[in-house]
Amino acid sequence: MKIFWSFSRQAFYNMVMYRFDFWVRRIVLLFVMYGVYCLWNILYTQNAKELEVNLNQIITYGILGVALQASLITAMGPQRYIASQIRMGSIDTDLVKPIDFHLHMLARNFGETAFRFITATIPTLIIGFIFLGFELPCDLFNGFAFAFSIALGYLIQFSLNFILGILAIVSVDIKNISWAYISLVSFFSGDMIPLWLFPTALRSIAEIMPFKCIFYIPISIYIGNFSRIMVIKEVLFQLIWCIVLLLLGRIFWICAYSRIKIQGG
Amino acid sequence: MDTLKIYFRLIILSIKCRTQYRADFITGILNIITLNAVQLGFIGILVNRFTNINKWTIWDMLFLYSLWMLGHSIFAIFFWHLLDMENYIVQGTFDQFFIKPVNIFVQFIGRELQYMGIGDLLIGVVGISIAYVNLKLDWSILKWAFFIVSVVSGSIIEIALMWICASISFWMLRSSTTFAIISQLDSMIQKYPIDIFGTGFRVFITAFIPVAFINYYPSLILLNKTNILDKWSFLAYISPIVSIILLIVATKIWTIGLKLYSSSGN
Repeated sequence: MKIFWSFSRQAFYNMVMYRFDFWVRRIVLLFVMYGVYCLWNILYTQNAKELEVNLNQIITYGILGVALQASLITAMGPQRYIASQIRMGSIDTDLVKPIDFHLHMLARNFGETAFRFITATIPTLIIGFIFLGFELPCDLFNGFAFAFSIALGYLIQFSLNFILGILAIVSVDIKNISWAYISLVSFFSGDMIPLWLFPTALRSIAEIMPFKCIFYIPISIYIGNFSRIMVIKEVLFQLIWCIVLLLLGRIFWICAYSRIKIQGG
Repeated sequence: MDTLKIYFRLIILSIKCRTQYRADFITGILNIITLNAVQLGFIGILVNRFTNINKWTIWDMLFLYSLWMLGHSIFAIFFWHLLDMENYIVQGTFDQFFIKPVNIFVQFIGRELQYMGIGDLLIGVVGISIAYVNLKLDWSILKWAFFIVSVVSGSIIEIALMWICASISFWMLRSSTTFAIISQLDSMIQKYPIDIFGTGFRVFITAFIPVAFINYYPSLILLNKTNILDKWSFLAYISPIVSIILLIVATKIWTIGLKLYSSSGN
């Protein structure tokens, strides 16, 4: 466990280095948040009934989606690290590290995500709270359920990215499919548009896929759009996907690992 | 004229380099198409629910999106290389362009064609055609001319803005994140008509970082919506002027940056 945290901490400090980059990304985030805010406002004034929730709820949904996406960035997951290590041929240095590779990737990603959460997500939410009408969770149960649910969402997103990263080891060039992957995840995870606004056919597809665990379930819990029974059901859904994907990642890694050894001679 | 000849020679060389990877080309185009299908899916879902966004119907939105896409495709195919500028500066490989007696910008841009931009072009053409038919537009020759001018000036605006961003790396070494700001503003004007935003933000993207001239203002004329602008309707006509001014500013900044440039190798 100590090793896990030391890798996490290192990843965290690595992020502090790029200062200019840091500020620009924060500015971009404000633009995104503002865009989402304007969009829901206009749609609300146009036809409030179609939204199915009230204005504060939908704006809270939108802002939370933007802010969480700033730390759970699909594009910056472990797959990027793995792909670049493979390309430069330095993946062997990761194999001699005194920590299991799967755990190492999680530690690294956790450190980076924690950094982004503290420096991007929280400040964005504070600005949203002061200026744009972002709301706190309606009661304690929803607050705690949200925290648990977003933790599961994080693990699910990590696992999906990890599996994609393993594909990079098995000689698939993931650079060319990365945009398509990112945009599909963002579409089906409901981080921009909540699933209840989807047309029925599309919604039934999105409901069974694991992607909605990343943003849609946690954020819907947060704004209080699920009844308590629903909350428990959806969190269970997340739990199942989480276990399945973690195991799948494990299996993929074991298969890929044996392949690396063969290539090494 | 000679520089143009050299540019085409360079481009042909880079195409020859590229044709070695055909699978790359196909996955690249599919990647672009998926990305845009998802983006349009977002818009489609919203307009499907709310019938329009601030009086912009689905076809209006598609038109707006595709007009941006057409201008962008010119940037994407021929000038995408600007985004790599900082790597040349940081690694000191930018020096190679000073050795040859050809315009440095032409040499730099001629290094590479971004074939994936063909996907953008495809989406733009298909999108505009679908919107044109569904909106039952019937443009006069004058309007067709304005349409072509709009596409060109839209792409010049994007090229000039990115060029300015690239030039920043002469001073800061790293400039890739400044592209992120422009890209974000771009994606906002691409997806939404700017009249859903507040006045402050509209002034910002009209007067300071004039991305609104890429697609929004010209499309008001092409879609007969100029009445939205009220007494500011002249804005709809001046995209070409804005693009030329921006281009002049960009070349100025580039020349100043070049003069200041000292290789990071020393």
